[in-house]
Amino acid sequence: MAGGNFDAPDAGQSRGGKSYKKPARRGVHIDMTPMVDVIMLLLTFFMLTTTLSAPQLMNVNLPKGDVNKDKVKLAANNILFVRVTDKNEVFVSRGKEDGSETNADKIGMKELSPRLEAEHKANEETVIILRFDRKSKYSSLVDVFDEINRAKLKERRYAIQPMEEKDKEILKAFGGY
Amino acid sequence: MRKQRNIKKANIHIDMTPMVDVIMLLLTFFMLTATFRAAESEAVEVALPQTLYTDTNKMPERDVLTISITNKGDIFLDVDNYKFRKNVFGDEFGIGLFHPDTTTFSEAEQSGKVGDKDVKRSFVKLNKQQFEDKIRELKRELRDASGNPKAEFRVVVKGDKDSDYGAIEDLISSLNETNTKVFSMVTMIKHEKPKE
Repeated sequence: MAGGNFDAPDAGQSRGGKSYKKPARRGVHIDMTPMVDVIMLLLTFFMLTTTLSAPQLMNVNLPKGDVNKDKVKLAANNILFVRVTDKNEVFVSRGKEDGSETNADKIGMKELSPRLEAEHKANEETVIILRFDRKSKYSSLVDVFDEINRAKLKERRYAIQPMEEKDKEILKAFGGY
Repeated sequence: MRKQRNIKKANIHIDMTPMVDVIMLLLTFFMLTATFRAAESEAVEVALPQTLYTDTNKMPERDVLTISITNKGDIFLDVDNYKFRKNVFGDEFGIGLFHPDTTTFSEAEQSGKVGDKDVKRSFVKLNKQQFEDKIRELKRELRDASGNPKAEFRVVVKGDKDSDYGAIEDLISSLNETNTKVFSMVTMIKHEKPKE
């Protein structure tokens, strides 16, 4: 197409050879430089002003109703405690019928969603009680919600409760704090 | 002279057509995907946490109540409607500042900065009671303006990933107090695949 412009042997001949006479070029040349300049400017502008990774939302539903009036009784063995310490360590334990609970397992954040799936398989009525230390990081809250959302559960039932001294005592026995 | 001219004419022509084609494509792509960030609508910048789970929820466009939490525990209350801001915070670009932790001081109040950036918008310092009152006032404004007595804000929480959970806990209790039972946490999508 536009190869004739810089055809190497052709150019060499016209420079060095005397026998060959170059035919006059007839193609119309449009100088694209100003256009390219403008387009480049536009491109830089759009590249710099766009935010490609749009933030997304993670919905949280707090329990409806009055905290003091509307209380729901839960069977103790339906409760799954997920506690996060000030060092952002995750402990999981299940409530027992007598009000105590099983040994708290320290697990990695990534193991939480398979664990939740397994717990739900064992007991479909499971309600997750989340307790976070006030000194834990916000990112661990988000991570826990991420794990809950990613776990394939029939029903996501969870509640956030404040971490109490009693919880810290329990976790102390299993290597937290 | 004539010979010299001929030599000059033999300079190299680079064909720019393919380059222009590519640049045009890029330009169209960026123009179509562009969502401009309005610098002034952003109250404070926080480092958002990342999540793997993706659902279809994107940032809503209107009636957004943005609550930003900085890593020093300052909570900023902002709304996208400048009339509401004028009525509630007394300034068209006003925002509310609430520092729930009484043992530390508010970074923004003391230095006027968040991280190393100045807070460009005027803010009103609020305590817990005032913070909740402002949320109620904003809701009333929304209901009056829209004429719908059940109109609700989309409450969006932008927390810094390094902020303490304590600030969130206080925020959640305030939201509960103001009957805001549904809110969303803003995250960025993490693209790596989980290791299993």
